[in-house]
Amino acid sequence: MAEATEDGPRTEPREHLSNWVPLGVAAAAVAVLVGGWPLVNALVPGSESVPSGEPVPVGAGGDYRASLTFPQDGWLLDTGSSQAGQTYRFDRGPVQLTLNSVTPVTEPPPTPEELWEGMRRIARAGESSARLSDPESISTEEGAEGLTGTLKSDSQQGAAVVYPSPDGRFAVEMTLAGQDATTADLAAVADVVRSVTFTKEGAA
Amino acid sequence: MSPESDDPRIPATTDRGAVPSPRPSPQDPPGPRRVPPPRRGGGLRTREQRLPALVSLVLITVLCLAGLLHLVLQLALPARVFFPEALLSVILGAATLVLGFWVLRRIRPVREPDADASLVAVAWGLFVATSAGVIANAGLGSVWAKGLGLDLAGVWGAALTAPLNEELLKLAGIVLVAVAFPSAVRGPVDGFAIGSLVGLGFEVTENFIYSINMVLMAGGTGGLVPVVQTTVLRVGLTGLGSHWALSAVAGTAVGLLAAVAWRPRARRAVGAALLVALSMVLHWFLDAPVFSDVLGILFKVAVIFATTMAVYFTARHAYRRRVRKALAAEAEGLGVRRSAASALATRHGRRRELRRVALPERPAVAARQDQMVEIAEDRAVRYAL
Repeated sequence: MAEATEDGPRTEPREHLSNWVPLGVAAAAVAVLVGGWPLVNALVPGSESVPSGEPVPVGAGGDYRASLTFPQDGWLLDTGSSQAGQTYRFDRGPVQLTLNSVTPVTEPPPTPEELWEGMRRIARAGESSARLSDPESISTEEGAEGLTGTLKSDSQQGAAVVYPSPDGRFAVEMTLAGQDATTADLAAVADVVRSVTFTKEGAA
Repeated sequence: MSPESDDPRIPATTDRGAVPSPRPSPQDPPGPRRVPPPRRGGGLRTREQRLPALVSLVLITVLCLAGLLHLVLQLALPARVFFPEALLSVILGAATLVLGFWVLRRIRPVREPDADASLVAVAWGLFVATSAGVIANAGLGSVWAKGLGLDLAGVWGAALTAPLNEELLKLAGIVLVAVAFPSAVRGPVDGFAIGSLVGLGFEVTENFIYSINMVLMAGGTGGLVPVVQTTVLRVGLTGLGSHWALSAVAGTAVGLLAAVAWRPRARRAVGAALLVALSMVLHWFLDAPVFSDVLGILFKVAVIFATTMAVYFTARHAYRRRVRKALAAEAEGLGVRRSAASALATRHGRRRELRRVALPERPAVAARQDQMVEIAEDRAVRYAL
């Protein structure tokens, strides 16, 4: 049976590398990715000062884009917690302004009341104790109509606002709150929620 | 008949080491004879593999439980608030999982991959790779936002984050499955199949996360519409070129390395590295902000699917050829016609051969087919070295 060795496997048996090596490399890769990026993120500073009076683009949809103009100095954009066109988090001392640009998918677009109801559910999806009050009318400084109410949860309280864009294709939703923010802190910056501007695309 | 089948001089060794190939001897009676039953799913090649296999399995189990817990903590609250949406997403995900599991196991040539390894691979994708991906992507995504600015990160962030994190996290799972089940991942076709199953699991959980995100991005309005849209987009439009395909390509690399006990020569090492790089480049291509309209996305999916199929058919062709060669060699020892033995390399061929046998004899013949194919696959692995 000498022929058995001639046309068999083309190579001589090679020494096995211990299976501990791929096991260790794979486990290390998972550990590095899961531990490494959050660590690097924590080490990189991520706040940008937002000057007052300058519009900050915060979303677009349909024929319109939205921007926010801060009346006060001292606001910082938390870039690590923000996503362009979708989510923005601004801080000023103990006050946090969280802004979401939402894009309804139904036709016709939802009413402001339906948007408020959706926002109510989204608040509970983020924190189970979060509750929005029944809404009241509010308008931006430029006259866009929206709804506002109070936000209360076990950890914070403040205000919630929603403004549908003029064609209803998207909406700007904001909460102004903060775990350590006092009523006075919130009152001092309350006008920020009225500084949203909708601009028609292509308009100067 | 293939040229290979003319070569009767096949070594009798197998990877299980203890299953000799039956050969005719002067003492043997003529005609068919019984093949010694191989140990299905068992037979770790060396004693040195057992402890790493056990540790790997324990590690996978622990990480699966941790990943599941993390995902539950992340998603339970939104899923409770948007319960109908979450329920529909789970149902659609389960359907995707069942269909994908069946299809992707079927595409392995010769026979399905080991069932235990397949399930563990899916579990890694479902729980570990996705959970770890959520953490790693959030970290790296924030780093890009801080380093590049929100606008640039908004355009390029996904393409700079997901291909690196997600492909490596899925790849780590394929490697761990290969270590945990060394007799189930012994070559490129095994790696392709196990990789595709890891990718399938990842895709199903990711689809669920995307569905919930879409519901939130729609402002909590629209009911089930965002969930249906997500499924249509991610299963219907991009399904053929998504995670299962990307990880199948990377898994082929793992199979190449596992086949040589993780000690490749330079050419094989380069080939494996290129396949892993290819999976990342394809993922980058899918996520990059180019060709972003529907036709463009279809083009990208077609490129990924075609590339994956090129890898698949290359691996399948080589493997089937080796299995046919091994079966032809076995045929001689068993008194079976070579053509009949070579036909056993495909599921269709085995069914056809079975139909030629009288009904009462079929179970016994089917069992013998299984044994022959298993031994032939053992041999085929050695031919690839």
